[in-house]
Amino acid sequence: MRSLRWKMVSEKTKVMTGFLPKLLLICCLFISFTAFGQDQGSANGSEKQVFVLTGHLEDQNGKALPSVTVHLLGKQSSALSDKTGFYQLSGVQVGDRVSFSFVGFETLSQTVHAKQLNAVLKPADSQLEDVVVVDGYRVQTRKTNVSSIAVVDGKQMENKPFASYEQSLQGKVAGVSVVGSSGQPGALQSIRIRGLGSMALSSDPLIVVDGMIVNSGNLANNTVTTNALAGINQNDIASVNVLKDAAATSLYGSRGSNGVIVITTKKGSMGKTKISADVELGSATPMDPPKAGMPLNASQYAELFKEALANQGESADEIKTIADSYGLNSGKSNDWYDIVTRNGQQAQYNISLSGGTEKTKIFASAGLFKQEATTIGSDLNKKSALFKIDHKINKRMDFSAELNVSNVDMHAPYATSYYGNPIYASRILRPFQLAYNEDGSVNTSTTGNTNFSGIYNPVLIAKKDVKHNSQTRMLGNTQLRWNIIDKLYYTSYFSIDYNTLEETTFLNPVMGDGKALGGRSKNYYERYFNYLTRNQLDYRFDIPDMDRFYLTATAGYEAQASKWYLLAADGYGFPSAASGLTALSNAATPVGTYGQNEGYSFTSGYGILTANYQDKYILNASYRRDQSSRFAINNRSADFYSIGGAWNIGEEKFFKKQYVLSALKLRSSYGITGNADMSNYAWMPLASYSGATGYSYNGIAGQQFVTPGNVDLKWERSKKFDAGVDVGFFKDRFGLTVDYYYNNIDGLIQNVATSYTSGFASTLKNVGAMVNSGWEFTVNGNVIQTKDFYWNTNFNIAFNKNKVTSLYANTNEQNGQFYLKEGYNFYTYYMKEFAGVDPDNGDALYYTDHTHQQTTNKISEAAFSALDKQANPKFLGGFSNSFNYKGINLSIDFNYSGGNYVYGASDLYFISAAYYTYNKYSYVYEHRWTTPGQVTDVPKYATTTDYSTSTARLYKGDYIRLRNVSIGYDFAKSHIALLEKYGIDKLNLYVRATNLATFLFDDRLPFDPEVSYSGYETNNIPLYKTFTVGINVGF
Amino acid sequence: MKKIKLIIIGISLVALTAVSCSKSFLDQSPDISLSVDRSITSESSMLEAVAGMYRSMMTYYTFGRNYQVLGDLLSDNVYMSSSNSGRLITFSGFLWTAESAEIKMLWQNTYFSILQANRILAADIPRTENVNYLRGECYTARALCYFYLVNWFGPAYSAQPDGLAVPIVTQSADVTGPLIYPERNTVKEVYHQIIQDLDSATAIMGTSTTMHANSSNFLSKYAAEALKVRASLYSEDYSGAKQAALDIITNGGYQLTADLSSFTSYWLATAGRTDKLESIFEINYPAAANNGVEGLDYMYSAKGFGDLLATDSLYNLYSPSDFRRTLMADSTRGGYQGYVVKKYQNPTSTDHDEIKLLRYAELLLNLSEAYIETGDKTHALQYLNELAKKRDPAFSGYGSSLSDQEVLSAIYKERRKELAFEGLRFFDLKRENVDFNREDMKEKAYSNYKVVTKTDFRRVLPIPQDELNANHNITPTDGY
Repeated sequence: MRSLRWKMVSEKTKVMTGFLPKLLLICCLFISFTAFGQDQGSANGSEKQVFVLTGHLEDQNGKALPSVTVHLLGKQSSALSDKTGFYQLSGVQVGDRVSFSFVGFETLSQTVHAKQLNAVLKPADSQLEDVVVVDGYRVQTRKTNVSSIAVVDGKQMENKPFASYEQSLQGKVAGVSVVGSSGQPGALQSIRIRGLGSMALSSDPLIVVDGMIVNSGNLANNTVTTNALAGINQNDIASVNVLKDAAATSLYGSRGSNGVIVITTKKGSMGKTKISADVELGSATPMDPPKAGMPLNASQYAELFKEALANQGESADEIKTIADSYGLNSGKSNDWYDIVTRNGQQAQYNISLSGGTEKTKIFASAGLFKQEATTIGSDLNKKSALFKIDHKINKRMDFSAELNVSNVDMHAPYATSYYGNPIYASRILRPFQLAYNEDGSVNTSTTGNTNFSGIYNPVLIAKKDVKHNSQTRMLGNTQLRWNIIDKLYYTSYFSIDYNTLEETTFLNPVMGDGKALGGRSKNYYERYFNYLTRNQLDYRFDIPDMDRFYLTATAGYEAQASKWYLLAADGYGFPSAASGLTALSNAATPVGTYGQNEGYSFTSGYGILTANYQDKYILNASYRRDQSSRFAINNRSADFYSIGGAWNIGEEKFFKKQYVLSALKLRSSYGITGNADMSNYAWMPLASYSGATGYSYNGIAGQQFVTPGNVDLKWERSKKFDAGVDVGFFKDRFGLTVDYYYNNIDGLIQNVATSYTSGFASTLKNVGAMVNSGWEFTVNGNVIQTKDFYWNTNFNIAFNKNKVTSLYANTNEQNGQFYLKEGYNFYTYYMKEFAGVDPDNGDALYYTDHTHQQTTNKISEAAFSALDKQANPKFLGGFSNSFNYKGINLSIDFNYSGGNYVYGASDLYFISAAYYTYNKYSYVYEHRWTTPGQVTDVPKYATTTDYSTSTARLYKGDYIRLRNVSIGYDFAKSHIALLEKYGIDKLNLYVRATNLATFLFDDRLPFDPEVSYSGYETNNIPLYKTFTVGINVGF
Repeated sequence: MKKIKLIIIGISLVALTAVSCSKSFLDQSPDISLSVDRSITSESSMLEAVAGMYRSMMTYYTFGRNYQVLGDLLSDNVYMSSSNSGRLITFSGFLWTAESAEIKMLWQNTYFSILQANRILAADIPRTENVNYLRGECYTARALCYFYLVNWFGPAYSAQPDGLAVPIVTQSADVTGPLIYPERNTVKEVYHQIIQDLDSATAIMGTSTTMHANSSNFLSKYAAEALKVRASLYSEDYSGAKQAALDIITNGGYQLTADLSSFTSYWLATAGRTDKLESIFEINYPAAANNGVEGLDYMYSAKGFGDLLATDSLYNLYSPSDFRRTLMADSTRGGYQGYVVKKYQNPTSTDHDEIKLLRYAELLLNLSEAYIETGDKTHALQYLNELAKKRDPAFSGYGSSLSDQEVLSAIYKERRKELAFEGLRFFDLKRENVDFNREDMKEKAYSNYKVVTKTDFRRVLPIPQDELNANHNITPTDGY
């Protein structure tokens, strides 16, 4: 009732735009507050004649609208419009109100004055009013919401050739960084909302799916990268809400500090049963590294190889002998980059069904998604199904239940500098090491310089090794909603999030990590059982005798527990005769057995209080008290709260006097959230046995006090301030949202050095503090909006600044490659500075210190400097466009990020002549110093050149990526008759390309700059382009 | 009225669920570890904790190698061959600093063993006979750790009894929390703690236990007494030393090997003993748990790295008929002649050499020294000769014509011969409080540092830099 009334108000505002605003407002108020009285009044004054209401429904362009739900308000009867847009609704009296609703259009409500009622429906494109905001505990409209929540509509995710939903979020939401540093399909996507949330704990946001706080992240133990949420079918998502500020996230209390992502899946809608089927086929093609990073071809490599030896003082004869032994003069070579890459197959099939009656609605879907990465040995195959039912038990009780089952099956080769990593292998293998023998068989020889004495043959590894993970997830919930009395609701919710992983590794006995052991296999089985119950009361109190002034109150209690179980075994010695026998049972020698359990639990009581005066002034306060097993008894409880307010200036009378702005809202919030995303028993002083013999003595099993724990450990706290403004221009044709935030995170847990006299070297302690602050801008709107042509655009940009403000005394300033110090960004690079190349002799030069007064050719004499360069982006965002012309739809989405530098963590092997037996980046070949007087930035190719970590291995990380381009054609716009003949409601054809182009800003950059938030490039499987063709059919 | 009833129903629904969650819902604990406060609940779990404590002492950073090696390498018994594996080389040339990793590990691991003892002693379970015995082992182990700490990180008691040594920590980190900042205690205070622990052990331990069946691999009541003899002697409490020593001699049942073959097989053995021959306490290094290439045996034996060789001056102390000379061999190393040490002979066996921390022979020497320090030459000579004559059948014994000072010198000489390669020589030189020479082995040695004067700051190992960084109350060691 409550949301319906608001809708009526707002829709009135929109439809009757020709009237004077004042009049309009009065009308609205009149209708919303005295509707029933009026109805009765008019009914009393006329004959009580019941008739069949008929009418015709069309869109703004005059096109008939089929399947519109026509609802007789307050009387539980409804009808659908037919294919020509006509409807018939019986049992109607003059004075009744009917509503017309249709997906993608604003719902329109009108009062019946005659037996015929025609209507024109407007597309739902307004900026503020109709967007529904979901924070997991409540559903609000954006107008009444006081917090910073970004909504991504499910439509933007449908039929994207991405293995997980997060990939579709990239560039869509201001202030949200989504980085897929690995191209492994189904890889973990690293999400950072408003910057780095923690130093030592996780900075990943909390993920909520249909009310359930799920286990997310990488749940595997033996696979390079997995994503617990890869099983979610993007086509099942109705919306994704990103909760950024305190007013929104403090509802999640101890776990809200990194932001919250709330995923809502689709549900059935009343009316004609709709079936939608999608098929998409295509291929993945390699996204080559930038020119600077391409490996050398055979002749280039041979040239450098000899040059390194010559610079080392070898004679021509010696060089020839060595070169011969490496096959440089054999005339036989191959291209490793070409060998480890391929065109991958890509396919997805989705079918969904939605329908129901007033009483019962269902939604069901099934999906199949297959993707092969462009790197050999890497693929994914996912199957998912969703079933959801909404049932009205009686006038006051609703029940819903859903079950989502999915399986993600993937093969994931090793990453980083493992010899079994095909990408690493392709970067260092010499073109003269031959993948195949002359007879076409795979080269398995491990002796000789033209074979694989060190690095493995990636072709063989991809063929013979197994690196497999099969992840099955069941996510289900039931919910009962009871309208106890008019404005008091009770909701009881229960959900189970069940995950199993079967990880299998087999390392072949022929070549590679398993060779010495005659083959090795490890099997891991893991189960995560996570459940949550929530009981909530919602009450609304309208202040008597006040015009649209009400309070809402919510109180609830939540309990959650998650258990993890691991069973694993490890064995070696496999039959050599039959290569198919890779199952662990074939292992001759078992080496390890593991079985264990872990768990965590949370209980929470929470309350939310809202006061709303005419939608103009809204105040919101929330409080949550969390208790968690992750802290010692005395620190188990913590309180979190927020307070926020909004002023909808757009609702003020004076505002209506101008026509440029159509909406204006100011909002702000402050609150405290926490972070408890840490290992389950971190606080606990632990004694362990370490297996049968680990701590044993003289045959007696031994127990040691090995983990100090810290019973004083508490939650990390983020004090978040946010101020924002939402503006609508020209009847909401354009919208602008600006947010400023200042998140002061304290009590950061650091590993603090202890006096060794305690028996321990370090312990966890709440000591650090840092601040994330920044601005976010989102502009969207319909640039062109004519009868035939329509251009909608969305641009967002976010700036984030991180500053460490407090650390434990004596904290080591050198934190890997970063400078850890108060006043600095956490990801400030701390390195020796490369000063270029001495033109006279080709030596690499380094600045002796940060003053840049002096250079040295000995890196050991150079001092570390805290640089004005950071790993995390200073700004990031996206730019999306959608064009429509007579049924032809073109979408072009960009995302970008910049202001940062990325670090080639294992570049050394690809640039340093000391490793002249490894292949090199093209940039080294093209730019190396060779002749006196030559000015360049790559030193002489000599084995003595010291290429230890310095700024020579930092590159500008700025990029703009053409993330998605699609062109589609909607047959329903122009071929209605044809479709009708076959009973088809909807028919779309489209072609889509992803990652089509990337614009870079550093000629030296040898790899794709979309790397982890900390700026490290670690030879992960590269991202790739996909080209797909799809068809959607709706019945 | 109905309205109010319904509201009450609603509120009670939520309230009910809130209270229906029991407190234990929030108690989660791992199943591969135990919360320390619940880890010792019975005799058997205490026994396991004691085993864990011994295991912690096995590390090569402490009793498994470095304590033994340093005690001889820094003195005049041993030099590091110029041909070496690179282990402990900064000690060969007296070049260590407060940043040296080995010193940090020595410090850290010894305190880790102390922590294990502390938390077992804090366990509140009924004091049965076995529990008392186990507690006695913990007191003794803690005393042993402090004994080595005070001797390495503090000046000799004879030189500076009030000099700064190491912090005394007797409470477990799960009680105090791991963030403690103790100050250094004086040498005297640490010895006081050691003696107190050993008296506590002696008071509650039976003379034997069925748990360990007289095994020399465990600390016993006599081990506590033997350590007390050593600690009392070092801290110049001679009557205390004598009293404890005599109890062992009278009631302990220990004996020396009778002849060469028995002596040889004693040093060849890899198993702990139950026959009370020679060993009072030795750490077990079985096949299942030894330090491999990092073991003490690997450092000395030619079958291992063999980096450490006996100095000429040590070798020349022994007469040809001395059994103990059979524990060295005139051999070559890195192209030079050298005396290879054969006290630890099983680095490549599956079961490695035990590391001997308390032996009956040392007890006799300690007692002899306590007698001569109190002017009782007769008894001093009795116990000195009991050992010296057993080891060298051709030796007729030290005669009563020697002056007290000469007897003391003889005791030191016999100590050097008997206890060589067992890590105690440096302590004796510190106790003597004299300048001493490390023999210049020229090109045979990796490096040379010839004279260690009485005032050389390197007689005391530095408090590790990381400890100084983490503990604002601790004083750095002078000189570093």
